[in-house]
Amino acid sequence: MVDVSRVQKELTECNRDREVSGVSIALHDGGSSISHLTGTIAGPLGTPYEGGTFLIDIRLPGGYPFEPPKMQFITKVWHPNISSQNGAICLDILKDQWSPALTLKTALLSLQALLSAPAPDDPQDAVVAQQYLRDYSTFSSTARYWTEAFAKSTSTGMEEKVQKLVEMGFPEDMVRSVLKSVNGDENMALEKLCSG
Amino acid sequence: MEYDAMAHDASSPAARDAKKKRGNRSAKLKQSKLDVRREQWLSQVKDGKEVKAVVSPGAAAGANSGSPILASPHPPLPRRRAEIRTREGEPEDCKEDSVGVSQDAGSSDLESPTHSPVSYRPHVSCLQQKHCSGNGGGRSFSSGSSAWSSSRSVTDSDDDTGGSPENDDDGVLDDWEAVADALSVDDSHNHQDPVQAAPPVVPASCLGPDNAATRQESIKSRTKAWSPDDVLRPQSLPSLSKQASFPASMGNCWVAMGIGSAQKGILSSCPICYEDLDPTDSSFLPCPCGFHLCLFCHKRILEADGRCPGCRKQYTSASSGGGTVGNEREMGNLRLFRSCSMGPRY
Repeated sequence: MVDVSRVQKELTECNRDREVSGVSIALHDGGSSISHLTGTIAGPLGTPYEGGTFLIDIRLPGGYPFEPPKMQFITKVWHPNISSQNGAICLDILKDQWSPALTLKTALLSLQALLSAPAPDDPQDAVVAQQYLRDYSTFSSTARYWTEAFAKSTSTGMEEKVQKLVEMGFPEDMVRSVLKSVNGDENMALEKLCSG
Repeated sequence: MEYDAMAHDASSPAARDAKKKRGNRSAKLKQSKLDVRREQWLSQVKDGKEVKAVVSPGAAAGANSGSPILASPHPPLPRRRAEIRTREGEPEDCKEDSVGVSQDAGSSDLESPTHSPVSYRPHVSCLQQKHCSGNGGGRSFSSGSSAWSSSRSVTDSDDDTGGSPENDDDGVLDDWEAVADALSVDDSHNHQDPVQAAPPVVPASCLGPDNAATRQESIKSRTKAWSPDDVLRPQSLPSLSKQASFPASMGNCWVAMGIGSAQKGILSSCPICYEDLDPTDSSFLPCPCGFHLCLFCHKRILEADGRCPGCRKQYTSASSGGGTVGNEREMGNLRLFRSCSMGPRY
């Protein structure tokens, strides 16, 4: 059984300084299960991931914190240690080097560090690692393109939509929840907001 | 004694934070009180007489110690006096001093006691105690004017220096002056060398033979319990540290002192399950790296891979090695925790 009180404390602790740290955690899709979370990390500055917002699927096993959380990138990312296919992460602290003294926040910060310091010698995605080692400039531009294409559109688009609807006079939290429920469809959300 | 010294060292940086954390303090005090009770209960069950012997002086002191301090609704007053004295850095005329106090008192007697540097606490409580006994014990200063009168009574006694030792009041007051003088000397030492802020021991050279005799007398004839901060308190009593009054800032004390995580964890929570560490837990050091965790989490880890969460090394002969360290530290923590209940409550 997941240690609920610890996870709850971790969530509040982590989200307290989300602006500074660039990482935050929320329940997955606004659900109610505390063992299925979504982490968000900001792409580190000075890297091809700069400006992107990366979502990470977090599943807490029953033994958490004595077992590592299962983390996987939802957002597609071009990185030697992250699968370009399914977002699987190759990071020791998420495997044998996990320690119960680590937290979801420190794990997300480690992922952020992994983005800025790839380890191509111990790759998850061999193709990306090869490219990183042989042709860094191509790697860099590909990674930047992926960031642009996958890590920016959803979040910024969502913010714009929220802002638009808020300007129409709807309360922001309601706008967000409605937008979420209709998967970001602006017109559907407006319809819902007007009817309800 | 080691804890005493650390307490002195620690308290002054803590004072800056103390005000902020005052809100937490009462809650923490309550908690620590509970902890003390639990610890005492545990230790009595665990080991009959030996532990009891240690417990009883502390408990006895705990019952009375607060009294002189608690009797005064405005503890900052005497303290301010001490502060003024130390600021001036030299033994000034007492009258001038007390005028300063009465003026000050009018404006700031409600000021937070945590304002004044905590490193001077021992002097303060010493002075406080004298004030009280000089005025028939437990007299309360309720206003600036009463503070003035109490200060004046001190001044009066200063005039007939070397007062008769058979008069208990005078003896104590005389003694007070001697201590205050000695303290101001001590203060100047402290100013020069703040790092070496040992508990202010009254230098024997500063006391005339007369005064020294009076002092001895007053120690013997004293019927009240020693306040935890009293300078004259016999060294043989269990050491009660000053952090007790500022339990909320204790963590910071340790940090400021550069003490490792071992002691830092005393009042914090288990880093694994985030539950509060009780004294048994905080004295439990299963790994030489000093990583603290509660017994439950430790057991859980031993059932799994048995590696320390702090350094990832295998717990080796955890029960024997950690046990001795734990026991050694336990006494210290026992004292620390017991002393929590003795701190003056404002």
